[in-house]
Amino acid sequence: MSQEQKLLVVKDLATTFHTPSGPLAAVGGVSFDLNQNETLGIVGESGAGKTVLLRTIMGLQPRTNVDVSGSVLLDGFEVVGASEKAKRSIWGLEVAMVFQDPMTSLNPVMRIGKQIDEILRVRLGMDRRAAKARALELLELVGIPSPAVRYNVFPGELSGGMRQRVVIATALAGSPKLLMADEPTTGLDVTIQAQILNLLEELKEQMKMSVVLVTHDLGVVATRTSQIIVMYAGRIVEMGSTREVFAHHRMPYTRALLEGSPKVSNPSHTRLLAIPGRPPNLLNLPKGCSFAPRCSFATDRCRQERPELENANAPGHTFACWNPLPVTQSVSA
Amino acid sequence: MSDTTQPLLKVRDLTVTFGSHRRKLSAVAGVSFDIFEGETLGLVGESGCGKSTTGKALMRIVEPSGGTIEIEGIELTTKNGKDLRNLRTRMQMIFQDPISSLNPRRRVKDIVAEPLDCWKTVEGAEREALVNDLLSKVGIDPVAHGNRYARQFSGGQCQRISIARSLAMRPKLLICDEMVSALDVSVQAQILNLLEDLKAEYGLTLLFIAHDLAVVKNVSDRVAVMYLGKICEIGPSDTLYESPEHPYTKFLLGAALEADPDSPIHGDVLSGEPPSPLNPPSGCRFRTRCPNATEKCALEEPQLVEIATGHQVACHYPLSTLARK
Ligand SMILES: Nc1ncnc2c1ncn2[C@@H]1O[C@H](COP(=O)(O)OP(=O)(O)OP(=O)(O)O)[C@@H](O)[C@H]1O
Ligand SMILES: Nc1ncnc2c1ncn2[C@@H]1O[C@H](COP(=O)(O)OP(=O)(O)O)[C@@H](O)[C@H]1O
Ligand code: SF4
Ligand code: SF4
Ligand SMILES: [Mg+2]
Ligand SMILES: [Mg+2]
Repeated sequence: MSQEQKLLVVKDLATTFHTPSGPLAAVGGVSFDLNQNETLGIVGESGAGKTVLLRTIMGLQPRTNVDVSGSVLLDGFEVVGASEKAKRSIWGLEVAMVFQDPMTSLNPVMRIGKQIDEILRVRLGMDRRAAKARALELLELVGIPSPAVRYNVFPGELSGGMRQRVVIATALAGSPKLLMADEPTTGLDVTIQAQILNLLEELKEQMKMSVVLVTHDLGVVATRTSQIIVMYAGRIVEMGSTREVFAHHRMPYTRALLEGSPKVSNPSHTRLLAIPGRPPNLLNLPKGCSFAPRCSFATDRCRQERPELENANAPGHTFACWNPLPVTQSVSA
Repeated sequence: MSDTTQPLLKVRDLTVTFGSHRRKLSAVAGVSFDIFEGETLGLVGESGCGKSTTGKALMRIVEPSGGTIEIEGIELTTKNGKDLRNLRTRMQMIFQDPISSLNPRRRVKDIVAEPLDCWKTVEGAEREALVNDLLSKVGIDPVAHGNRYARQFSGGQCQRISIARSLAMRPKLLICDEMVSALDVSVQAQILNLLEDLKAEYGLTLLFIAHDLAVVKNVSDRVAVMYLGKICEIGPSDTLYESPEHPYTKFLLGAALEADPDSPIHGDVLSGEPPSPLNPPSGCRFRTRCPNATEKCALEEPQLVEIATGHQVACHYPLSTLARK
């Protein structure tokens, strides 16, 4: 892939919060890139840094008590260190974000149509009439039945699935090149989840967007993304094409994630691969590999030196582990 | 399961209605099922379909408006006061939110001992030994952690403590309502494996309520599928997942994504959303979203009928009969 095709290039990105208990490295040095019209999945357990990573890529950070270093090149625009004003010029137009809880991104006391109108008028400078017409189009686009009626309702009058569609409509208002969705279907029923995921996929094709999909649902990443990043304690521990990582993962934590989640296709009472413990406290990270306290392959070296990402067999597939699983290791026979 | 086996729990036409006369909401609208000793019955369905209300009605945390609940042949709905409390010790319920279901200001040991203290079954050294044993069984070190407060524990650990407490009275039936839904994958696997081990060790019978189809299949021998207050299908887990008979079950399973990039995304996505339980459709409650619905479905409510041994479905046109045509 040539450099020009990269929509997003992230290099050594680190986000540290200064908390009363000391510095907290929520994102601890992350590098990856994303092509145009590609869907990248980011998986990891809660607290792994997925949300902070997305917010840092957007340049959405609290004003104080946070340090960001490294670089985020978004379609040629350097986000790290950019002024609020400069960032405002890309928000919604280059990059937009869909948050987990649709209620947090909608104003509960404003009719949904007005909320979309406002984005169109402020960001795109549309006049009132054009904005309304486009808002109705967007509501239709995201599959809201009878948009003209729904235009006038308040978010609280809609179901969770419908609210998430409205949030997606607001995110798409400025036709962004990159859409970042943070757990967009968590908390929704599976049948509604399927509707929303299908919608995102169709919109991605239609609008030629790239999508970053954060989820803890391995079924969602497996079937809906082409690239995958596995995060643990603020770092990437394995990444590559989704197919490759599912079939030939090398990092023990990736295996624990994949084989620890029950599968619909397995017979009932299949024993799950369970690893002990839970993710480490980011205020007090172990010295070497962050996974060492829970890893059955850990050696002294793991506890002393942190493994960096190294190449696996397939192009683009990398993992960070001193004692990787053998190459033949595969999830399903 | 032979016909001669008495079920441990026998539920018939259970209904739970909330609200006043004018705004009546049937959260559970006539549900019947059995749970046999030593088995796990899974209960799945979309949000609001009445799973938790069913579980709570069995415990009589909410009052059933109709129907019968028998545990070991004893009718529960007519019991009150001390008799009811006595019967309740045979059933325990574990909830989704592990942290808020434990008192943050109590020590772990005392939380686990709550039911023992309430019933004064054991005291002193015997109580201590029993509590320590329960904590060890769920993987909490009684010496290192027994005297700490609940607020100092993570979600997974709190769920372990809840399990220990629920086992204190040696119940026969454990009702688990979304007990792993709030936990991360790696912790969820620990708790599910633990539950399977304890079930074997204590000879427990389980009603396992959850919306995650893969999780439910993993622990259940049989699975019941609920839609809008009614059971639409119930059968052995493997059969039900492999060849569902009710159109709703098929859609539900089709929407569950397999963690495998080679697995197909099923084409058929159920459109629309469940209707309001305040105003359920006539006849079959699924008919407003069902592609196979006919006039009959609007007029006649399908009853649960046995289609194969242990496999019941409430649909005028079960899928296998459609396929044959
Ligand atoms: N105390 C109550 N008063 C009035 N309505 C209630 C009450 N409890 C539950 N309901 C309603 O009863 C129906 C069934 O609710 P229930 O909590 O049993 O669903 P559920 O299947 O457990 O859903 P979830 O998957 O979201 O937990 C819903 O429509 C709900 O709004
Ligand atoms: N504003 C903040 N101040 C301090 N710590 C934060 C802040 N936001 C997030 N964190 C911490 O950063 C870590 C990563 O959080 P997050 O990105 O939300 O995880 P994930 O989305 O993977 O669940 C967590 O330990 C979280 O508590
Ligand atoms: S580096 Fe060591 S501790 Fe870390 S995952 Fe690999 S083997 Fe385990
Ligand atoms: S009874 Fe009719 S509407 Fe109901 S599930 Fe069967 S075919 Fe569909
Ligand atoms: Mg998050
Ligand atoms: Mg519930």
